Amino acid sequence: MDTTVIQLHNVTVRFRIPHEKIPTFQEYAIRWLKRRSVSYTDFNALNNVSFSIQQGETVGIIGANGAGKSTLLKVIARVIRPKQGRVFLKGRVAPLLELGAGFDYEMTGRENIFLNGAVLGFSRRDIANRLERIVEFAGIEEFMDAPIRTYSSGMVARLGFAIATDVQPDVLIIDEILSVGDTDFQKKSAARILHYHENGSTILVVSHNPDSIRNLCSRAMWLAQGSIKMAGPVDVIMDQYSSYSKS
Amino acid sequence: MLEYDSAKSPPPAIDEFVQLFRYRDLVFLMTGNILKNRYKRSMLGIFWMLLNPLLQTIVLTIAFGTMFKSSLSHYAVYLLSGLLVWNFITQTTQYAMGTMAYGGGLLKKIYIPRATYIVAAVGNGVINFLVSVVSLIVIIFFIDHPFSTAWFFIPVSILILAVFTFGLALLLSTASVFFTDTVDIYQVLIQALFFLTPIMYPPSILSPELSQFLAWNPFLILIEIFRTPVYANHLPDASLIVNAISLALITLLAGWIAFTNKADQLAYRL
Repeated sequence: MDTTVIQLHNVTVRFRIPHEKIPTFQEYAIRWLKRRSVSYTDFNALNNVSFSIQQGETVGIIGANGAGKSTLLKVIARVIRPKQGRVFLKGRVAPLLELGAGFDYEMTGRENIFLNGAVLGFSRRDIANRLERIVEFAGIEEFMDAPIRTYSSGMVARLGFAIATDVQPDVLIIDEILSVGDTDFQKKSAARILHYHENGSTILVVSHNPDSIRNLCSRAMWLAQGSIKMAGPVDVIMDQYSSYSKS
Repeated sequence: MLEYDSAKSPPPAIDEFVQLFRYRDLVFLMTGNILKNRYKRSMLGIFWMLLNPLLQTIVLTIAFGTMFKSSLSHYAVYLLSGLLVWNFITQTTQYAMGTMAYGGGLLKKIYIPRATYIVAAVGNGVINFLVSVVSLIVIIFFIDHPFSTAWFFIPVSILILAVFTFGLALLLSTASVFFTDTVDIYQVLIQALFFLTPIMYPPSILSPELSQFLAWNPFLILIEIFRTPVYANHLPDASLIVNAISLALITLLAGWIAFTNKADQLAYRL
């Protein structure tokens, strides 16, 4: 049986950066009258990236700022559809890129659980069945019916994490959010991720912290200027990366 | 098991529809939340929705009512039935554009069907419209304007209006993501169109040169499809119904195709 969960084939994501101001009809009209064309620079956030990840693997993605890490995750999370190349995914992807995406701070914790759950693609009934478990994991029982603008930032993050990870996903995407909430909650969330990993979830981690990559991942991918510079066993790649960063 | 293949998805116009259906609970929640947020903080709550058209009608009737006394009996009913359609179309489209251009940040962070915001905006608009129909009924009772069985046509009118508005909102939102001044240009256009469309005045006061252009004003068709059963108490002509339905469906089709085909670029552009 084919156990490939994520496969990217020659994926290129190109952003167009206009040299001048934000495009408006007005700008276009003026430019047209002056017979000037609009000039752009094309910037490849991802350049011909190909790799595949098998079920149950834990892969770390490293690289400098602007190397394309976030774009890569967005492509896998279906936020950006590449115009060139192919992304193939099997299973439900839980992106922990934006915890509590779509949270409405005027609404209560309870309302936001349904809202964020719907944003993540769960039905209302499904969330209603799991409401208690989510609230309990987030530890916000007493504040359920208070607007979340009254929550501390830690509580909001805990709630977001609890909703996003309540059901075991096939693929878990983690972007530097291993440090959610206080120490207790960090332990609890790490334990949950580990538990999912042991049960077969594939995990993708982006982090600038070499230790957390080494601890969590078996394989690492080093991105530089939108391309994979190096990929392989985590220790080899991390050694190379740290000696490169130092020099 | 769920599968996603960026290269092998169905045509965007179909795919978006399938996704919207899958995320239907999100659409309902967002519609409800717009309403909740708008009215939660004011003491009068839902009464604002009723009061607003009432006040508008009272002011305009005082200002213009005597002017059209001979040509339009029960001016307030004539005015409000046109005004409600106008407000529904323009406010809903402006709201949809606003949420896409300024509030669409969520689309950059996580996958949700891109049309979610626009469907929610139209859903919210329809609810507001239904509430303001209540204030229309209040005024009709108050000035003793006759009711007739033609009111049974009203749900059809509202459906036609909603379809048209959804299509227009899709077109405008697509444009507003690519050209940020769409919002401002539209604002100016609808202000001019408001005075060029017989809402506050009867079509008969226009000069023959001007009134020949009225047939080309799509807003008049849409207003008449609602105003005729309410004010004139008879069903709209068959030709008017056909025109209105065609207009609504063509706008919807154009909007849906334009929007869904450009939807993938939203995450790049917003």
